[in-house]
Amino acid sequence: MQVICLSRGVFVGGEELAEQLASKLGYACLSREQLSESATEEGIPVGKLEMAITRQSSFSERLALEREHYLAFITSQICDRSMNEGLVYHGRTAHLLMSGISHVLRVRVVTGEERRIRAAMQRLGVDRRRARRYLEDVDDDWRRWTHSLHGVSWEDTSHYDLTLNLDQLSVENAAAGLTAIAQLPDFQVTPASQKAVLDLRLAAHSRLALARDDRTSQAAYKVRADSGVVTVSYLPHDAGRAEAVAAVVSGVAGVSQVRSTMATTNILWVQEEFEPSSDSFRDVAEIATKWNAAVELVRLASEREAIPTADEQSGGGNPAPPARALAGSASYDGGIEDDVEEPSENGGVTPTIEELARLGRSGGGRVVAGGAHGLVASIDRSVPYSLVVLGEVFGDRGHAAKIRMRRELQTFLSDHIKAPVVAVEELKQQYLFGTRDVFRAFALLVAVVILFIAVFSHQRQVLDFLLGEWWTEGNLGHVVAAGVVALVVPIVAYLYGSFSKIVLKLIKIE
Amino acid sequence: MTSFLVQHFIVLDLTTALEVVLLGFIGGVLSGFIGSGGAFFMTPGMMNLGVPGIVAVGSNITHKFGKAMMGSRKHAELGNVDHRLGAYLIVTSFLGIRIAVWINSMLFKGGSGDHGAGGSAGSNLYISLVFAGVLSLVAVSMLRDALGSGGDEGESGPSKRIAEALARIHLPPYIRFPVGDTRISLWVLLMVGLATGYLAGTIGVGGFIGVPAMIYVFGVPTAVAAGTELYLAMFMGAFGAINYALEGYVDLRLTMLLYLGSLVGIYIGVYGTKVVKEVVIRIVTGTVILLCVASRAIAMPVYLRQLGWIEMNPWWDTYLNLASKVMLFAAGVTGTVIILWNVVRAYRQRRRIQSTLMEARAAA
Repeated sequence: MQVICLSRGVFVGGEELAEQLASKLGYACLSREQLSESATEEGIPVGKLEMAITRQSSFSERLALEREHYLAFITSQICDRSMNEGLVYHGRTAHLLMSGISHVLRVRVVTGEERRIRAAMQRLGVDRRRARRYLEDVDDDWRRWTHSLHGVSWEDTSHYDLTLNLDQLSVENAAAGLTAIAQLPDFQVTPASQKAVLDLRLAAHSRLALARDDRTSQAAYKVRADSGVVTVSYLPHDAGRAEAVAAVVSGVAGVSQVRSTMATTNILWVQEEFEPSSDSFRDVAEIATKWNAAVELVRLASEREAIPTADEQSGGGNPAPPARALAGSASYDGGIEDDVEEPSENGGVTPTIEELARLGRSGGGRVVAGGAHGLVASIDRSVPYSLVVLGEVFGDRGHAAKIRMRRELQTFLSDHIKAPVVAVEELKQQYLFGTRDVFRAFALLVAVVILFIAVFSHQRQVLDFLLGEWWTEGNLGHVVAAGVVALVVPIVAYLYGSFSKIVLKLIKIE
Repeated sequence: MTSFLVQHFIVLDLTTALEVVLLGFIGGVLSGFIGSGGAFFMTPGMMNLGVPGIVAVGSNITHKFGKAMMGSRKHAELGNVDHRLGAYLIVTSFLGIRIAVWINSMLFKGGSGDHGAGGSAGSNLYISLVFAGVLSLVAVSMLRDALGSGGDEGESGPSKRIAEALARIHLPPYIRFPVGDTRISLWVLLMVGLATGYLAGTIGVGGFIGVPAMIYVFGVPTAVAAGTELYLAMFMGAFGAINYALEGYVDLRLTMLLYLGSLVGIYIGVYGTKVVKEVVIRIVTGTVILLCVASRAIAMPVYLRQLGWIEMNPWWDTYLNLASKVMLFAAGVTGTVIILWNVVRAYRQRRRIQSTLMEARAAA
């Protein structure tokens, strides 16, 4: 059922709006405070977690695990509650819990500073200066909380569908407006968005099961679900828990298969069609093995493709298409689709995931529609990506348009994801050892050797020069010596640093 | 005793050169492992080899310049550099470096810099005292953090108290930093820049103050703190290198030899962080730093005697220097061996898993 997430600050009027909206729509209303209480009953030290994050004290491994436990708990609670009835949830980071799902309406509720200060003065019984200070401090705490849990800015408007300012608008009218917006076709449940919620719910349940079981509770995991197939990645020092992980997750209702991957980091591979026997697959798999990384596939559906149904997806294991753009584009064709070539089964996602799973490098996969924005919205910011590989996309466009759009997408991804974005054809050159590296390493080594011989065979002259006393008048000698040091040192660092990097690339330690 | 080739620059024979390369390698491994500069090991290590403190600091800050330049490029690619925050810190850090170079030069020249009794001893003692004071605090914080986080109590670490105390002080104007997603008082910002610059200029370890300050006092995410510190280190290193070079205290030979070890070691150290638990990382680095401090403390009576502040038979100088050197190298080598052992074990484990998977695949 539909979910409306209201992200609100303190003394904004968000709670009242949420209650009125839920009442108008006949939905259940759930607050962050209620969820926090349930989480505390579950045994999660929510208070301690909040103190550690907002007061910026050191964050122990134990607390990092509790943070994951907390996120899985609230996600599973919201998904469970929305299974049978519509839900209005209001809290700090409500909009980020279910991002990328089309039937989740994400609203930010704000109001003017003056109104908030007056409300704070009245409610807390403090003077104006203290009220302002209180609001600034609480807003800062909430910013830190959002950053810590989701890795994004609380104020970033790209994570909201709508921002409501209650300065001029009454709560009643705001609720009426939101009721109308919630009924728009863009925010209705589609088979694809329903599947995305089911996958999110299964992943949260699986993570929760791992946190609750004594055998697996002491380790960090990243969990993804896709039509009953759950992929769990863990760090190398937790390799001993692999069997327990499989046993615990397979016991979760709805899990048909468990895939475990030992990974220290993640590689995101974006492409339109995947092929496990291709050269690009070999390059990505080699880098993933070298880096101990899990490869997460994202199939960027072309704009001309029809909306995938839940049935179509269930066979191939492609979860979570946001389907927002697809729903939009479908509304223009009047139900008549163009003659488009049928893509291979799920764009090759299923066989590619299976091949990666065989190599122990699978990080799951999904189909995303909605172009660059849909892609960025679907990315989990808490996952540490080391590399984004951009393969062939926009295949239905002409050559020139394809190149331009791909370059634009690469720039867009670089701006939004904190990881290098590399085109698939450049992977070999940048991250794998090749013949070109042999020549480069040789040239660098020769340059380094020449520099060292030049300096160490003329030590006395070099030191005399560095003292700057060879110029008897004024400070020119010192200035020239300092200039040469400032010039030579970065050159040596670059030449020898690049040479070391190539050698370590050869022995696969990067 | 160490002989000098030209004024305050030591003679570099093959053994000494190899020792400097080893210093660079251990410093690089520890630096990659801890995520900060390796000067806490390399500066005292060079002093143990007979390099005057001021030349050790000057050569090391020059080495830091090139290393930070390589590292900050990678962090910038990952979007971990808050250039605005860096720019604010750079301004005052330059002032801090200038003060540090001035004090160091005054003490060195005041003692006539003749490397004998009372020569560079004043400067050496000053550097050793600052080194021991700052790094004792860092090591104790690290070990308390590591041992505290083993239990259920998550809110450990003395830095929290400092952060809370600073958070209570309201010092406008505040400046907003979008990448770090934080708001910082201009005055706190200037003080941190000054302290970072002063420490970088005095002992070459500004990162030990800069990174925790950015995380705990400014509220910047850890990755952004490390990236911004490296960006800052590039400018501080360049400014420090130019300042020390203008005074004639940079030994280019030492800087080049340090690179030979450090630029390889740093990659191994970073690899180590992926295969070693965080609590072990903190315990290993905290212990190594504490032993580096102890090694410096052992050498201090020699400087006190050279200054004529204590009565001691000069015969002891050789033994105290040797003990200090052995302790420093033992600490560094042990820490590096622990890291390398974990790296090799993980490397072999990875190869074993790969071959098992290949066999399973072939059988299928």
